[in-house]
Amino acid sequence: MLEVRLLFAACLVLVFAFCFVRVFIVASLELSDFAAIVEKLWDKWGKFSAVPLSQLLSYPGRIALAFDEPIVVFTISIFAISRGSDVVSGELNRGTLELLLAQPVSRLQVLASQALVTIGCLALLSLATWCGTWAGIQVTSVKERVPPPKVKLPFLPAVPLPVRSDEKIEIPMREKVDPAVFWPGALNLFCLGCAVAGVSTLVSACDRYRWRTIGIVASLYILSMICKILGLAFEQFAWLKDVSLFTAYEPQRFIAIATRTPADTWTFFHQVDGLSELGPLGYNAILLGIAALGYLAAAIIFHRRDLPAPL
Amino acid sequence: MTGVIVESNQLTKTYGPLTALCECSLAVNKGEVFGLLGPNGAGKTTLIRLLLGYLKPTSGRANVAGLDCERQSVAVRRLVAYLPAEASMFPQMNGHDALRFFAEIRPGSDLARSQLLAERLELDLSRRVSLMSTGMKQKLALAATLAAQTPIYILDEPTANLDPTVRSTVLALVAEARVAGKSVLFSSHVLSEVEQVCDRVVILRAGRLVHTQVMRELRTQHRIVAQLSAPLPPIPESLRHQLVIASHAGAEVTFETPGELAPLLGWLATLPLADVRIEPVGLRAVYDRYHREQTRASGQREPADGVALEPAALPGG
Repeated sequence: MLEVRLLFAACLVLVFAFCFVRVFIVASLELSDFAAIVEKLWDKWGKFSAVPLSQLLSYPGRIALAFDEPIVVFTISIFAISRGSDVVSGELNRGTLELLLAQPVSRLQVLASQALVTIGCLALLSLATWCGTWAGIQVTSVKERVPPPKVKLPFLPAVPLPVRSDEKIEIPMREKVDPAVFWPGALNLFCLGCAVAGVSTLVSACDRYRWRTIGIVASLYILSMICKILGLAFEQFAWLKDVSLFTAYEPQRFIAIATRTPADTWTFFHQVDGLSELGPLGYNAILLGIAALGYLAAAIIFHRRDLPAPL
Repeated sequence: MTGVIVESNQLTKTYGPLTALCECSLAVNKGEVFGLLGPNGAGKTTLIRLLLGYLKPTSGRANVAGLDCERQSVAVRRLVAYLPAEASMFPQMNGHDALRFFAEIRPGSDLARSQLLAERLELDLSRRVSLMSTGMKQKLALAATLAAQTPIYILDEPTANLDPTVRSTVLALVAEARVAGKSVLFSSHVLSEVEQVCDRVVILRAGRLVHTQVMRELRTQHRIVAQLSAPLPPIPESLRHQLVIASHAGAEVTFETPGELAPLLGWLATLPLADVRIEPVGLRAVYDRYHREQTRASGQREPADGVALEPAALPGG
């Protein structure tokens, strides 16, 4: 239990600090410099981006990249795998399930209490990513060139003077970015964590060795990642995206939707070019569905299986 | 002792071709200390795990206080305090935390009693479980288990890894439980301990229950080992049911008495015997009837398939 608390505390500090620092980096690297780098790579790597270039070159778009950074995704995933794998095979492996189930508690109670703690911790970790981003936005500022002065003539709109100023002014990041647009990203991260925890719990419920459980889940996780990358990279393998867990993990896209079409932020379906597409909540529902199925199957298997004597 | 509190009926557990327990039928009475004996793999732990609902029976049924062990396992475990053979505690807790955890998780459990038991077992509760020795962990698990106010205790190897003084304390605690009217299912490899605390013992062999021994009856049985200086005369008709020739090899003869010894002494005094030794039959002898081959294979003084052959467990030892 202390072990879990330490892992949770470490993950919490890590994701908060990373998201906070990420905003600092965004603020310190001028947009024009960042654009110069990205535009060079866009022809080759643009197909891997979940958002259009214009979004990526905006402050919210750059900050949103944090939700796709391996450090954030892996921290959540490692926590979910660690907790999920512990539920049955971890307890069996340590021999603690024997004494725990000697008490008048049902197997479902054991599983449900573990699931509640895991989901609660995942919610807090996801919240920490948002809080880190929010804190970063509150304390950073960006430097931008002073806009050219405008001349206001009677009966005409204001006209900027054709002079270029080298003077730069500091503008607080909070004036450029609304932290609320990152909620969909944090929610999507939470749902991904739940899905990974659900699958891990399912494998754990079938197994008796924790390290084997972790190995199986990690393999499935990497396989899922490879499927998405191959699906994005090659047209003929586009179908692979449909079997990948990560296809439903699109935080940048959902943050872009929140930035550009806020009305579509909390929808299951939305209209894109006249066609109905799955909205952010639709993707999250897929991840939560996987989580629910994983936990349900785990509960059935755990309830029915024989519990071997500790090794 | 009134009424049956634990009962199994034709209980069977198989794993593919392996039969871990085969058609085991037994009944444990209220207020009885009931021993389970057998070498490793005999089916003792399988039987216990079936009673607690950890395993689903292949066939047959078991119930505790009328509750089905498979379908009502939570209700069963409300009535049973179980000490596993190798109890693993949560490593990050210290002794106090572990006892508090088990007192909180079991309704009606008594933290003060578990702390008192820990004291009797000479356990330092301030130490973290991960830093405890195997014996200390065993004491902690014992304190948590025996503190539960349940009518039944199931103790699987309760004295394993304990020093002789603490073993005696554990046996005393089992005896106290019996006095308090609780039933105890006591599984052990140490024959002397089983002999000391159990009212009844079953012997399991290869998953089958092969013998039930009432310990009170065993205590009246004796074995007479002697050297014959002349041929043995036939046993008189009147004594045939009170005496059995267990072995007769060369000059050495061994008699066993299923009942009281006193009526036989007169006839025995007329026999041409020398170097006469009279000893209680003891559980060892009963055990050997069913596991003799293993005992012989592993040597007279060696543990027979994990059964610790303590001096006290040996007839006349």
